Amino acid sequence: MATEVVMPQMGESIAEGTITKWLVKVGDKVERDQPLFEISTDKVDAEIPSPAAGVLIEIRNQEGETVPVNQVVASIGAVGEAAGAAGGDGGGAAAAPEPPAAPEAPAAPAATATPDGGGAPTPAAPATGKAAGGAAAAPAGTAPAAEATQAAAGEETANGAASGAAAPAAIGPRRVPAPAGGADGAAAVAAGSAGADGELAEDTEDERLRRFSSPLVRSIAAKEGVDLQLVEGTGAHGRVTKGDILGFLEQRRTAPPPARPAAVPPPPAAPSLTTAPPPAPPQKPPAAGAPAPASRPTGGFHVPAYFEGENVEIEPMSKIRQITAAHMVYSKATSAHVTTIFDFDMSRVARARARAKEGFARKEGTKLTFMPFIFKAVVNALKAHRKVNAAIDGTNIVYKRDINLGMAVDLGHGLIVPVIKHADLLNLVGLAKAANDLAERARSKKLKPEEAQGGTFTITNPGVFGSLFGTPIINQPQVAILGVGAIEKRPVVVEDELGNDMLAIRTRCYFGITYDHRLVDGADADRFMNDLKKTLETDTWTELEPYA
Amino acid sequence: MTAVTYLEAIRQALWEEMESDSRVFLLGQDVGIYGGPFRVTAGLLDHFGPERVIDTPISESAMVGAAIGAAMLGMRPVVEMQFIDFISCAFNQIINFAGPNHYRWGQRVPLVIRGPSGGNVHGSAFHSQNPESYFQHTPGLKIVAPATVADAYGLLKAAIRDPNPVLFFEHKYLYRRIKGELPAANGGDGGSEAPPALGRARLARPGRDLSIITYGAMLHVALEAAERLAAEAGIDLEVLDLRTVKPLDEAAILATVRKTNKVLVLTEEQLSGSVAGEVAARIAERGFAWLDGPVHRLCCPDTPVPYSPTLEEAYLPNVDKLVARVRELASY
Amino acid sequence: MPKTTSTSPAAPAKPRRAATAPAKANTKANAKAKPPRPPAADRLAATELTPAQQLDLYRFMKLNRMVEERLGNLYRQGKVVGGLYSSRGQEATSVGSAYALAPQDFMGPLIRNLGSMLVRGVKPREVMMQYMAKGGSPTGGKDGNTHFGDLERGLVAPISMLGALIPVMAGVALAGRMQGRGLVALTYIGDGGTSTGDFHEGLNLAAVLAVPLVVIAEHNGYAYSTPTSRQMRIQDIAVRAAAYGIPGEIVDGNDVLAVHAVTRRAVERARAGGGPTLIEAKTFRMKGHAEHDDAGYVPPELFEQWRGRDPIERFERHLLGGGLAGEAELAAIAAAIDAELVAEMDFALASPMPPPERALEGVYAT
Repeated sequence: MATEVVMPQMGESIAEGTITKWLVKVGDKVERDQPLFEISTDKVDAEIPSPAAGVLIEIRNQEGETVPVNQVVASIGAVGEAAGAAGGDGGGAAAAPEPPAAPEAPAAPAATATPDGGGAPTPAAPATGKAAGGAAAAPAGTAPAAEATQAAAGEETANGAASGAAAPAAIGPRRVPAPAGGADGAAAVAAGSAGADGELAEDTEDERLRRFSSPLVRSIAAKEGVDLQLVEGTGAHGRVTKGDILGFLEQRRTAPPPARPAAVPPPPAAPSLTTAPPPAPPQKPPAAGAPAPASRPTGGFHVPAYFEGENVEIEPMSKIRQITAAHMVYSKATSAHVTTIFDFDMSRVARARARAKEGFARKEGTKLTFMPFIFKAVVNALKAHRKVNAAIDGTNIVYKRDINLGMAVDLGHGLIVPVIKHADLLNLVGLAKAANDLAERARSKKLKPEEAQGGTFTITNPGVFGSLFGTPIINQPQVAILGVGAIEKRPVVVEDELGNDMLAIRTRCYFGITYDHRLVDGADADRFMNDLKKTLETDTWTELEPYA
Repeated sequence: MTAVTYLEAIRQALWEEMESDSRVFLLGQDVGIYGGPFRVTAGLLDHFGPERVIDTPISESAMVGAAIGAAMLGMRPVVEMQFIDFISCAFNQIINFAGPNHYRWGQRVPLVIRGPSGGNVHGSAFHSQNPESYFQHTPGLKIVAPATVADAYGLLKAAIRDPNPVLFFEHKYLYRRIKGELPAANGGDGGSEAPPALGRARLARPGRDLSIITYGAMLHVALEAAERLAAEAGIDLEVLDLRTVKPLDEAAILATVRKTNKVLVLTEEQLSGSVAGEVAARIAERGFAWLDGPVHRLCCPDTPVPYSPTLEEAYLPNVDKLVARVRELASY
Repeated sequence: MPKTTSTSPAAPAKPRRAATAPAKANTKANAKAKPPRPPAADRLAATELTPAQQLDLYRFMKLNRMVEERLGNLYRQGKVVGGLYSSRGQEATSVGSAYALAPQDFMGPLIRNLGSMLVRGVKPREVMMQYMAKGGSPTGGKDGNTHFGDLERGLVAPISMLGALIPVMAGVALAGRMQGRGLVALTYIGDGGTSTGDFHEGLNLAAVLAVPLVVIAEHNGYAYSTPTSRQMRIQDIAVRAAAYGIPGEIVDGNDVLAVHAVTRRAVERARAGGGPTLIEAKTFRMKGHAEHDDAGYVPPELFEQWRGRDPIERFERHLLGGGLAGEAELAAIAAAIDAELVAEMDFALASPMPPPERALEGVYAT
């Protein structure tokens, strides 16, 4: 068995030493007490002698390394013995493995899922590249995880308004005082349950004494099956004293039955204040790491995700999934979602696109889709309807002077919303390039965190997969989101120049806008949509002429 | 048998132990020729000679150190602190040499450090102290505080015979104010009954309603208060005299808690960090289930002992204060 | 910063070419050319000790040094718990003085008096186990380094508070007199320790009671990092004896024969009822306060100067030059010690740590 060579402690307060020089190398034969290496500490430099004779079979720490006291730095063995035969733990602490953060910046919802509710998106949230994935999830994740766990224990979650994500949830499982006796304890639970949030600190000394009396009295009460609530207390704060309860018992003994103090039956178990409904197995915390949503209705109604014995497979959520999940319910709980659907004629756009598409691809090296047209139209409409490009902060309206268009991109395993910054400064070509570039980098996980932040309005495109229209959820802290349905040819009724009705085949598309009715009224939304419609249905897209 | 004073009981015990055991010797300032300022050691020099009653220079630390050395060699030194207040000058020797010695290398130190402690004698800050709490903390020491004539006598003998270092605090207020009979043992009829054991409390007054745990001069305050409370308020006090402050007689303490369910600890120390606090903590920890009220302490305030009589009266616990506190606790 | 090096214990010190005495023609070592007389400073004091006794002294000093060197290695191998203290350079003071005691006498050593403890019969394994905090150490692991005692061998354990041992040893001397044992108590103090109240109180009490106590103040130049110039305004500690009305003597602490002689005188004086003596041994602390202290605050010239006065080397020159021993004999002594120490060390290393329950035991004597 090999002999360990340790970093010695050269002085009571010394915790580490630096190896300044190895005097021998692996494979060298060494004598007992032969100097092996030199160290430097805060107090002294020293030569360290060998604890044994043999061969130096391994060196674990090199010159220049600072090593904690008593850590094994080398081992000496017999000739031919392999390293690792020595006992003891290995070298320095292994670095904890990095969380598998994607180089992707997390979903924009994450950026806004940080704990300040309805305010501006915190620029701090996802920091830089690799760390971002983990880090962004972390603040959203770790702190609230504890709360989430507590929430799972059945407690009420955060009350109160916009302090959403990491808002301190309940104080944890209520510490119901151990009942001294069935009756007394139940009374205690009842009294406790009646209180709103089980805040023990709220009790006054009076109340506590009244209820709990003293250890002695409670033990007597328990033993004799007496409900202290029924005993008159003459002690301080009206508590039941030893004399009171002994007197009570005396009376009980001598008095006839009717005065029998029946134990107050325990109140019907409040629905899952402290326990889950019967068939449920121990609950997993909901979306561990997900921030609890703001203003979720209290009342403790809870349906478990699965029952014991159910045929299920459980997979932990990815970070992006957790963040999305959190953001979605947060958004729903924050904004007053209303969706209105319009049917636009995209024929003109289709024609312009068809004409320019090849030339564009050739000259610009990137595809010309329908999206740049829509972006352009949206930008124009937002300029005219700044309310739709705003945010709500308490009772303030925050008008965003920049127009940063978010475009939802599906990654397969999740959703991300890269943002075209200052979209109003780009023309159609610029928009096309920006959009394609962002989408491509989003899919190949090369997006920078700031490229998924700061959006003021979002466009999503369910139509890509064939959906006619959707009712998208607003991307907080924005106040509207536009969903573009499938662009397809449909028969419509048109009027000819004589006023006769006829059927025509047109390229149509349903556009749905979900807006936050706290700020945007139906009429506002409709006006916005009409402007959008006007651009898409009448614009001639002259800037595409070079590509035609 | 005639009654003797508390002080005479101490002198008697010293004399008898020195007679029966040649290893016992005394050292201190003015203990020989002068017989001590309180005359505790009067006559001992003449009878036992200067090798056994040694007048020392003013060096509490050296005195205690020398006693430690002599005790290790098998002698039984009894060191007198002229006033217990000066024991602090030997603090290092007591807490670092005497106390830990047996634990460290198995060598016993059978010495006694004795002297007059306590106030109510217009002694002011340096002639009135009750320093037991400083030493309560030190492993290896024993601390005794007798309250009666019989205990001053019997417990001093026990202390001298104990193989450990013992601090023996004689309350100077009691020196000439109380008288009592000495136990028959060693009184001349040849019987040698063993003295009371250290570490055992004594039930001074059995009672029903509320327990006072105390020691030293405060025992008499408690007993007087008990009479008044019985007459005026129908409260029947139980009074437990700890007698030994270290080690505490936990069994006796818990027994009285179980019996009356209400406890007040009464001592003449400053409140913070007091022996009373240690007693209260143990009761709270181990007697909780039997408590029908909080554990109270009546001690001195956290000030030095004041000089002027009106100030000292405000400082010390007395019968009035105790009666008021007992009434309060009793009605809880 | 001077490095603390581990020396290979096997090599004996090379004797310098110096020899004193005339014609010991029958010694093999002197069969060669006569070396020159050594410088006067190198000459050791006259002594009543026989050659055999002097070799004994040599053996103890060598043992002192080699045990501490071994402990130094063990320390650097992480085997020592807590701090390690060395008496390098002061071996003559410890060994010479302790050698002057009679079997019934008592001694109270401090941390740099390992040599005295070895003279009184302490075994190297005991010291090693103390330093390694082993369960089989004299204190059972309850205390460390040289903080242990044994009344059977007349040893009283010190505490870390300097000066405290002096009144205690005065008490030992007093008790010895009361018990008619004819014993003398010997104890030590450093230059730093003489500043304490207990030094004063203890010596004064001992003087007033005229107890048989000998106090050796080892004036080794430094109290941790404090040179004596910052410890006291006087040059010689021995002058303080006058304050207590007792004799004060100064001795070359690196001359083991001188130390022995002066201690002997003091011990006999005490035994005869002459009361305490304060002896000041002039010496030098050749290492730091403890193994973790590299003594960077000591001017290197001082070390150089005192290295030339190493007590063991000086004694070797005396033995060799006086024909009291040959090189081979000295080498053999060193080799025997080395072999003994390997065995002692292995024993100590292999012995177990104390069981945790022991932590609560032994507070009170029964």
